[in-house]
Amino acid sequence: MRRRLRIPDLGGARAAILHRPHATVTALVRQLQAIGLEVDCHWPDLPVSARGADYLFIDVDTAYDEQFPWPPGEAPLPTIALIGSEAPGRIEWLMTFGADAQILKPVGDGGVYSALLIARATFDARRELSGEIDALRRRLGQRQTVVRAVATLAARGKTEDQAYEQLRAMAMAWRVSFEEAADRIVAASTPPKDEGSTHG
Amino acid sequence: MTREIDLGILFSRSGTYSLISEASRAGALKAVAQVNADPSLDITFRPVERDPKGNVDAYAPLCEEILQGSGARHVIGCTTSWSRKEVIPALERMDGALWYPTPYEGFEASDRIVYTHASPNQHLLPLLDYVFAEFGARAYLTGSNYIWGWEMNRLAREIGTRAGGEVLGERYLPLGSIEISRIVEEIADLRPDFVLNQLIGPSQYAFLEAIADLRQRAPYFAAGNCPVLSCNVTECELPAMGAAAEGLISAGPWFRNLHPALPGNFGREDFGSSLEAAGHASVMMLARLLADAPGSEALPLSELLDQPRAARMGLSARTHHTRLPVAIAQVRNGAFVPLRTGAPVEGDPYLTREREAALTKLRVIK
Repeated sequence: MRRRLRIPDLGGARAAILHRPHATVTALVRQLQAIGLEVDCHWPDLPVSARGADYLFIDVDTAYDEQFPWPPGEAPLPTIALIGSEAPGRIEWLMTFGADAQILKPVGDGGVYSALLIARATFDARRELSGEIDALRRRLGQRQTVVRAVATLAARGKTEDQAYEQLRAMAMAWRVSFEEAADRIVAASTPPKDEGSTHG
Repeated sequence: MTREIDLGILFSRSGTYSLISEASRAGALKAVAQVNADPSLDITFRPVERDPKGNVDAYAPLCEEILQGSGARHVIGCTTSWSRKEVIPALERMDGALWYPTPYEGFEASDRIVYTHASPNQHLLPLLDYVFAEFGARAYLTGSNYIWGWEMNRLAREIGTRAGGEVLGERYLPLGSIEISRIVEEIADLRPDFVLNQLIGPSQYAFLEAIADLRQRAPYFAAGNCPVLSCNVTECELPAMGAAAEGLISAGPWFRNLHPALPGNFGREDFGSSLEAAGHASVMMLARLLADAPGSEALPLSELLDQPRAARMGLSARTHHTRLPVAIAQVRNGAFVPLRTGAPVEGDPYLTREREAALTKLRVIK
């Protein structure tokens, strides 16, 4: 499939860099400013306010989990890894932490623009995908509820197909999802549990 | 005391695009002569010249040869984007800088390069604004199969689609190919409002011949309907195109008979094309940055451009691009006649600045 790249609006976007003062930072800032971004440099910790940036650059050579105000794998913004050492341990850390694009050090005259485009596209695709997976998981988890709701309705003298159709009609009338309607049917037909008895 | 400063010149004197590179070279040498004859400047330039002969693989070694074999830190040169990208590693290794005086497709801001001709916000965008208003927004895109054509047409598609336009067709030719019949047939069938042509050299000449022929036999294409557009045709290629160029609409920072020429020409206007003017402006601006500052010829480009006098000449320390006027002109009776002109605009290589409505700023030429 041919993907048409959506070019993000980079004029006035904010980039946060977590890297000790270094020529790499100078080269990075120059490229970012030439493209039209505003840049904030941080070291050694990333303030919570960095969540509000549009892009984050991290130094894989020196980074560790405690520098970041979020758990590994949960970066709330597109993240670009600056890789110097290719020692497997560092790459392993990066795989756990997660990055959407990478630039090899030393950073010279180019590479930042393409990294920004790739990071934004990858981040957006990843977030869309994980949203989709969450929704599918939820529906999968509710499958049993649907079966029970259909059984409840069928027990009132309908065929399974009729019960299924009735559930669909209810969902539409209530303007809720099929699974949510099933949840309501099951809740209405289940007597409240006596918690004491289950724990004898 | 006058300082004699070595200055690299790296243009192809033969090959498929030599009309263009010769124009740039002529402008650069014109400026060298002017600087050397100017007693008010405390510098003179000694040209150190190499000729890549249109061979893309010759640029990097010859650029390195200039920087290694002479005192030159600045090179005026390159015509295609491909050759420009080839010399960047040599510039980095040898601590050199390139002044690039040719229109290009943008999306670059090398710390080693000064871009002294137009980028898309100074050619393609105003050209599309003009043509959408005057002819419609149904486009046919064509070009030579390399970065210039691909990227310019991608941009045209993006901008056109955003403006509610439509791309009816898009087709490319290998560099140097003159097999244009399929493209022309498709255009004859599709009847677009305009053709955006990013072909270069002989491909473009053959294409314009075939379109001129189409205009003779197909009424839809007669009387200036469905114009062919270009972002890099200047006066220097008109003799090679002859009558086939009639009606072609091109965008650039300057066309002959517009006053003044480029800001970097400092009042001089005796140029054959904007390519020659930009070659001249490159050397003149460099001379002004080096004058009255002994030792400045060894400064990194970033520091040279950081001087207030660089900004006054329209050179941006942030993007290394140049503030340039915008003009749209049409070939009539063998010469470009301006249709619209606009005040100088900053180069915006990544198109990230708020885009001022270029059209409203363009002045209609009566």
